[in-house]
Amino acid sequence: MSDQHEVVDLPPTPGERLRNAMKARDVRITMIFGVVITAFFVFIGLWFYPKFMPEIMSESMKRGKDVIVYFTVISAPIAGLVIAIALYTLFDRHHGDTPPEEAASFRTHTPIVFVWTLVSAIFCIVAIVWGLTEMNVNSEDATANAKTALVVEVTGSQWVWTFNYPELGVQSEQLNLPVDRPVEFRVHSVDVNHSFWPVQLGVKVDANDRVTTLAHTTPNVLGTIDIKCAELCGLYHAYMETQGKVMKEADFNSWVTAQGGHVA
Amino acid sequence: MTTLDHAKVSESRPNPPKSLITKLNMGTGMIVGIVFAEVMYFWGKSMWDRQEAVMENRILTLSMFAWCIGFLIGIGAFIGPFRWLIGKDLTDEEQLFLAGKGQGVSRYFRYCTDHKVVGIQYLVGVMVMLGAGGTMAMMIRTNLITPGSKWVNAEIYNSLVGLHGITMIVALIIVSTGPFGNFILPIMIGARDMAFPRLNALSWWLLFTAIPVLCSAWFFGGIPTGWTAYAPLSVQAGGGMNAFIVTIIIFAISSAIAGANITTTVVTMRAKGMKWNRVPIFVIGATISVAMAIPAFPSFMASQMMAAFDRTIGTHFYDAEFGGSGWLYAHLFWIMGHPEVYVILIPGVAILMEIAPVFARSPLFSYTTAVVGLAGIVGLSFLVWAHHMYISGWLPSLNGPFMVTTEMISIPTGLLFLVLLGTIWRGRPWMKLPMLGVYALLWNFLIGGITGIYLSDVPADDYLHGSMFVTAHFHYTLMGAALTGAIAGLAYWFPKMTGRMLDERSGYISFWLVQIGFQVLFLGMFAAGSQGQPRRVADYEQAFATSDLISTIGAYLVGIGMIVLLYSVVHSWRKGKIAPMNPWGAKTLEWTVPYPIYLENFHEAPVVTSDPYGYGRSEK
Repeated sequence: MSDQHEVVDLPPTPGERLRNAMKARDVRITMIFGVVITAFFVFIGLWFYPKFMPEIMSESMKRGKDVIVYFTVISAPIAGLVIAIALYTLFDRHHGDTPPEEAASFRTHTPIVFVWTLVSAIFCIVAIVWGLTEMNVNSEDATANAKTALVVEVTGSQWVWTFNYPELGVQSEQLNLPVDRPVEFRVHSVDVNHSFWPVQLGVKVDANDRVTTLAHTTPNVLGTIDIKCAELCGLYHAYMETQGKVMKEADFNSWVTAQGGHVA
Repeated sequence: MTTLDHAKVSESRPNPPKSLITKLNMGTGMIVGIVFAEVMYFWGKSMWDRQEAVMENRILTLSMFAWCIGFLIGIGAFIGPFRWLIGKDLTDEEQLFLAGKGQGVSRYFRYCTDHKVVGIQYLVGVMVMLGAGGTMAMMIRTNLITPGSKWVNAEIYNSLVGLHGITMIVALIIVSTGPFGNFILPIMIGARDMAFPRLNALSWWLLFTAIPVLCSAWFFGGIPTGWTAYAPLSVQAGGGMNAFIVTIIIFAISSAIAGANITTTVVTMRAKGMKWNRVPIFVIGATISVAMAIPAFPSFMASQMMAAFDRTIGTHFYDAEFGGSGWLYAHLFWIMGHPEVYVILIPGVAILMEIAPVFARSPLFSYTTAVVGLAGIVGLSFLVWAHHMYISGWLPSLNGPFMVTTEMISIPTGLLFLVLLGTIWRGRPWMKLPMLGVYALLWNFLIGGITGIYLSDVPADDYLHGSMFVTAHFHYTLMGAALTGAIAGLAYWFPKMTGRMLDERSGYISFWLVQIGFQVLFLGMFAAGSQGQPRRVADYEQAFATSDLISTIGAYLVGIGMIVLLYSVVHSWRKGKIAPMNPWGAKTLEWTVPYPIYLENFHEAPVVTSDPYGYGRSEK
């Protein structure tokens, strides 16, 4: 390091090369585009997109929505970069029947490939870790609530959902749930595959013949739930839907009693 | 370097050999096929004349296979193998006849071994399939224009969904590797023909036999199961399901033959000097795509054979009551299904990577990265199938690992973006039709890719699975990326395949109608899915009315755009401007041969000394 001053023409360091590159006009304009487009996608993700989601009536639904919102925000810079570069190149278009003049012979650029791969790997890891964590929270909740959960046996048949509350001795074609009480759906089918989808609760699980599948959630808002079938199950698949209610515990208990069940 | 007058083609017309081969064509194939099918049908009726679904299915399935075998016999597909059996082979004249030497248009209706003829056959076949599938898409969207429209009843609607799905999937699997992989690819690598010309013809005519079978589904009760044909729903379905099963089995054989053929051709028949790092990227993409299909499709075929056994002889592979399992079907299906979407996607992207350097006059950015990206997708795509089964309840503890592999695909996919962006960066894009496809792909594939990351994430998929969101997502990748690539490829290679330029004005109109309509259609569908509309529903609630209306309007724009494209293709093919030998100034080998292309492509075997991306001013 001591004899460094003897060297007259140092090649530019990577830092200098980066700074020089950043001064180029096209790089600057592209970056401005990129920032604007990124902001646009962040706006879509944070503000516009959630408007299309139905009412959020459970933590699992909130987690699902959060994943979509934050993944949109995370991927906004990538979208911004891609679109900005594509847009910028369009500023200098060539028309006519003969090819344009040759561009710079730019065959590869190892640092760019390396950085691009590294950055996309980091984004990918963030997405994976995020998803695994949320998934883990969902399943931990399910385990923690296993003892206290209200058990609802859901039976799919062409083309009706029926709900059986084994602990309460109630059977119904309407799904009523007490608010803030964990619920365990035990789902099966008596014919073809269906998929049990209480939309506002943000869970979904297939109904298979002779197999019981589980879904866990805790409704935490009073209101109406749309229950649909999310797996094509034959002629009237589109009409295999019903409604449910999340109600106060007292209301739920009186409903159970009215149905001839016994409140635990 | 000149435009060739079409009339001055002087390929001498040889005396046709006096042999059975000269008498056979598509017509004789159809006659023998129908006779076989009828004989099988009535023989089956007399054998198993009972009013049982199993018997009916057995008779229908066997009749459909009989049609296929009869057709192939009738068109002369087995003459070569038969000669081998008796220790002979076709004579030289017969081989030349099979290659279509000096036969004019009639060779397109024969069992023709010339790869260029097979390419055109695939092109026309694909266009017919896309037209049929597109018409069904229009009918689906028309039915969904308002809630409770009941334009068609639920039974017909479900059939439309299933037939649209399988028609489009089959069409998209072959849309690039069929026409361009057969016509252009051998010339691109400097080969005289494919490695196995007779198998090449077989792969096309096998696929051809499957088309009437698939159409016949309409008359036997349709395919009311969606293209996934999940068991046990498929076991319950009517006679149309047999047509689905036979189609898939035939198609799997056809694609295996085509895959082996293209792979062997690229591995063994490249021009002198064309080392692996000098192979055009489309060739790499097409080869990777068909090579992926070779291990993937047998799984699909097996799943359909087991479905056929369940339906025709009463086995219980998928029937839980007797120890079978619907999950078995789902696994076999998706072990094919997830590599399959990349079988569709990769050639489309590769075509655009071939096009981008030509129209930006800039070398393909980082060839190695492109190959690594493609290869990475292939490797990972075999490890992700169960992300289609997150919510099936099959084994929730494996959702995590499948989520990891699925999200990792975003890394090699990102590399493909880098290659395209690096190629167009600091180039002046020449805004011809093929180049527009590059920009369309960047946008569409971006949306398709990002929404794919949501779906790969289990908590989000818990909500979105089975909704219209999924439908919109895969249309963005399959149609927005793969079909866009194929259409760009058609505009790019049209001069080489037909000798005429694709009409630009109608081409531009079509491009904008299709692309704008496509955004309206599927952004509307993303909204419907987010609101909670399940997919494959014949009817829906008032809450989704706006999103669905927007989607339908977009669909009509796409439909009009596609009709304009059809007009453009038909019109240009008949009366278009005569194309020069190399209208785009491209450097791949197919542009060094004049139209019409000689029977064996090159008079002198080409020698390759560099990769075909030597665009750009030399630096310093």
